[in-house]
Amino acid sequence: MRFGKILSILMIALLGGGALCSIVSIPSAWHTGHWEIGLLGAVLFVTGGAAGLLAITSFRRNCRVLIEAIHRMTTQGTLHLLNTDNHEIRPLVTAVNEMVEAAELCMSEAVLKMKELEIQLKVATSERQHAQAIIYSISDAVLVTDTFDELVLANEAAARTFQFDLDHCRRAPVDQIVKDEKLAELIRDMRQSNSKSGRRIVEHKIKGPGEERIFKVTLSAVADNNDAPAGVVAVLHDMTREKEVAELKNDFVSSVSHELRTPLASIKAYVEMLIDGEADDEKTTREFYEVIQNEANRLSRLIDNILNISRIESGLVQINKQPQSLTIILKEALEVIAPQARLKQITLVEQLTPVFYQTSADRDMLYQAVLNLLSNAVKYTPERGIITVQTAVDEAKRKVIARISDTGVGIPPKDLPFVFDKFYRAESNNHMAKGTGLGLSLVKHIIETVHRGRIFVESHVGKGSCFGFQLDLCD
Amino acid sequence: MSAKKILVADDESHILHVVSLKLRNAGFEVVTAADGQEALELAISERPDLLITDYHMPQLSGLELCRKLKQDPITAKIPTIMLTARGYDLDLKDTQDSGILRMLSKPFSPRALLTTVNEVLLEAAA
Repeated sequence: MRFGKILSILMIALLGGGALCSIVSIPSAWHTGHWEIGLLGAVLFVTGGAAGLLAITSFRRNCRVLIEAIHRMTTQGTLHLLNTDNHEIRPLVTAVNEMVEAAELCMSEAVLKMKELEIQLKVATSERQHAQAIIYSISDAVLVTDTFDELVLANEAAARTFQFDLDHCRRAPVDQIVKDEKLAELIRDMRQSNSKSGRRIVEHKIKGPGEERIFKVTLSAVADNNDAPAGVVAVLHDMTREKEVAELKNDFVSSVSHELRTPLASIKAYVEMLIDGEADDEKTTREFYEVIQNEANRLSRLIDNILNISRIESGLVQINKQPQSLTIILKEALEVIAPQARLKQITLVEQLTPVFYQTSADRDMLYQAVLNLLSNAVKYTPERGIITVQTAVDEAKRKVIARISDTGVGIPPKDLPFVFDKFYRAESNNHMAKGTGLGLSLVKHIIETVHRGRIFVESHVGKGSCFGFQLDLCD
Repeated sequence: MSAKKILVADDESHILHVVSLKLRNAGFEVVTAADGQEALELAISERPDLLITDYHMPQLSGLELCRKLKQDPITAKIPTIMLTARGYDLDLKDTQDSGILRMLSKPFSPRALLTTVNEVLLEAAA
């Protein structure tokens, strides 16, 4: 270190001294002819020059080293502190090092900031994707529109309902997407309505792929961060099935009311007749009383039936499965149905397997099912017909099968697929018998849902029907 | 004046029995039908002064029966009382050109029916 400084001072001294000497001596040397002083001066000058040259070269060499070091940093893209023994360039190196340190600090701050932003971006993207995934997977159609009534977001269900391409629908005007002026108007009105937290629920019919469906449309106006209207979200819930069920329920209630009113009407009428003395004689009076009693009983049975069906179907009745003999249950039901059959002179034929074949079943329910089938057979078979009750066992498949066949009016092919539906009654057979259309639905529920069996039917109009079911054998 | 003849049509035997008895006891001649088709034939052959019919009947509904009667000049002028067990009333426009003058919903009172019958016959005579 010192060397550099000493060299510098020496250099200046020599150069300075030498120069002075030369300048002073040359004119005197010229005059006196004493070249020694001039020579000394020249020598001093040259020495000074040499020393200066040396100093400059050293300086330049150090600079080059420094430049190379800086250049390396630039090309490698890394910052690191420089080192030098040379005190000449030390201030420069120190300054450069300070700059490097400051730059490093800046950079690490920037990197930290960037990492933070990356994380925030990841989180935001993930949340957005999650929200989108949620919207896409909603089974109701969702349409989100902006302040220009253009589509911003839609889900799979919407694409299906309105038949548009989910990938090419962004920013499309909503009335073009839904192709439904009324719906587009609803959305427009909602947007213009200016109610920030307002919600409107409307029923709307749409002719979708297939038949017309009814939707419950919930429209909400969306506001942005500054509470300005930002668009509309429309959620369309397909309530066609719900409406159908509601209508079925309504029909059921009407049907039931009708069924109940009929015996009631008779009772009221006959009672009134008795009061007004319309029954002239003992025989007529007795007849009236009997009718009233029969109708009262009928009403009572009807109510029990309806309640029973209702309770069983809604799962309120406790199921108690025990090994039962189908043969025994059938025999019991046959005994109960025998009087009705006798009235119509219908023959009952039994072809039942031995008692010991058993199935795990709820006795009351199975009895009810069997009774319903027998009762139907009697109702829809004209006078002097035949009803055959058979059971069979398939040991290999571990099943027991029951068949109730009649020589009745039969069921038209077009009605056959629907006979087990609630309230379904074959139009053409309406004149044969009355009913709520619930009997077979209950049988199906008992056999298939409760006992995991299988129910089937074969029928020919004018020849008769065969209703049967299959249950698992007990082990 | 000879007794008025009334045609009663209903698929329910009890109703038929009650109404016939009530009207006969009141001095009317009663003819009964158990379905719409039978009622139509009897209306043509018997030419009753009044028709009492149920709405819901096999073969031909009460309303269809009335419309058919209106179309035939022989039976067009027969006044009709309709009995209905439906939970709702028939639409007025359905009944306008069918000759149905009164509707009674079931369960109805035989007394009320008799009163209505007398009213309608009085109106028809006037």
